[in-house]
Amino acid sequence: MNIRKYIDLRLIGIVGSCLLIVSQFSSWYSGNTLINIYLITTSVAIEDSFLYLFPLISGIICFIGTFLVLYKLDYKINSVIINFIGLGFFLIFIFEIISKDFPYISSVEIGFYFAVIGALLILLDILNVLKLNNNLEEGS
Amino acid sequence: MRKGVKINTENKSTKIKDGNQDSESNFYYALGHKIRRRIIELIGENGFSSFTELKKELKVSTGTIYHHLDTLSTLIKQKADKKYYLTEFGIRAYDSIRNNLGSLSFDISKKDYNSFLMKGLMHLTPKRIIVTNNKPNLLVITFSFMILILGGTFCALNGLYPFFLLFETIPEILYVPLFNFLFFIFNFFVFFLTIEAICRIFYKKKGDSMEFLSTFAIIFLPSILYLIIHYFFLVLMINEFTFIGIFDNIIMIIFQVWSLWLLTYSITTYKRLKIENALIISLVLHYGGFSIILLLSI
Repeated sequence: MNIRKYIDLRLIGIVGSCLLIVSQFSSWYSGNTLINIYLITTSVAIEDSFLYLFPLISGIICFIGTFLVLYKLDYKINSVIINFIGLGFFLIFIFEIISKDFPYISSVEIGFYFAVIGALLILLDILNVLKLNNNLEEGS
Repeated sequence: MRKGVKINTENKSTKIKDGNQDSESNFYYALGHKIRRRIIELIGENGFSSFTELKKELKVSTGTIYHHLDTLSTLIKQKADKKYYLTEFGIRAYDSIRNNLGSLSFDISKKDYNSFLMKGLMHLTPKRIIVTNNKPNLLVITFSFMILILGGTFCALNGLYPFFLLFETIPEILYVPLFNFLFFIFNFFVFFLTIEAICRIFYKKKGDSMEFLSTFAIIFLPSILYLIIHYFFLVLMINEFTFIGIFDNIIMIIFQVWSLWLLTYSITTYKRLKIENALIISLVLHYGGFSIILLLSI
């Protein structure tokens, strides 16, 4: 079955970035969303708090990147570079989280899975976009 | 009677097929010369063109232009106003030239990028150093060597270990500056050999390995600039401040993207790979390096 016949695979990037944005408002630890954690951390140590906004920033940047390639396939290199920047924010966040909160990783909730799946979908989207031929624009 | 009809139909379809093949052959033959492609581009860009304009742009003799205009008879037509216009085939030829020429060429320095982002990245690319068919010269080798020494030194000063294009501390390992320095050099060669292996095994491209090696250190230039800035934040002890910390993270991301672009540019130039394939290699290695760091931190 050729999956490309039924869905435009370029949409996985949009789904991935939406998942990243949604993860910001979903529970990560003990029913706390990242927004809650951001507010709690802001009152304790403001220098660490901005880190908890990185999935949202990453999601927004990747959304712009993936939308760009849907708008016009000629912008695929731009889209990939914007996605690199977006994923960079997420990688810094996930690295800090894993190195700091590794003991609690076993008790993570839906927000964490949303974020990880979202980032993986964006990665797949980058590979898909790079494999796309310019001629596909007329066919898709 | 039926047989006759069948034969006539067959003859007709054969003629149409031959006609199509002729048009196809004419189409590709017309595109087979640099001047003819330029004529189509000139007419396509303006919508029409006069003979005088073509002569002015092409800078060839009148006879040559007439010869090429005759060859392009299926792709262009001269209207009553004596100007040349593209036919339906000509418009297709023009679209084909515009869409495919960029992807066929491996010299990305000559590509015409319209977007602000790509123009910016092209300005940040040392195009005079990363250039194909340019034998390694002493100046480039010295420059690369300096980058290696600087990179190793600032890795040692920051206490960071490089993993391809990423830098991280490993708290479990005792801080020995010389070890950081040597690890940077080791990372440089491992990174180069990994790219060489990927290009040769997966893409069957040997390219210009020596030229690639002689300028490979330039890929680390943005990372080294970041290490220098990071070191000053450390020395001044201001990286604990909120906005400095965020600024440090943001410039790290931007400088990494710059490094990835230089890597992509080098692979495309020296290995003659399409920019898309070069980006895939950069992406796989970058996130591969990140995975190693993540595993080590756990």
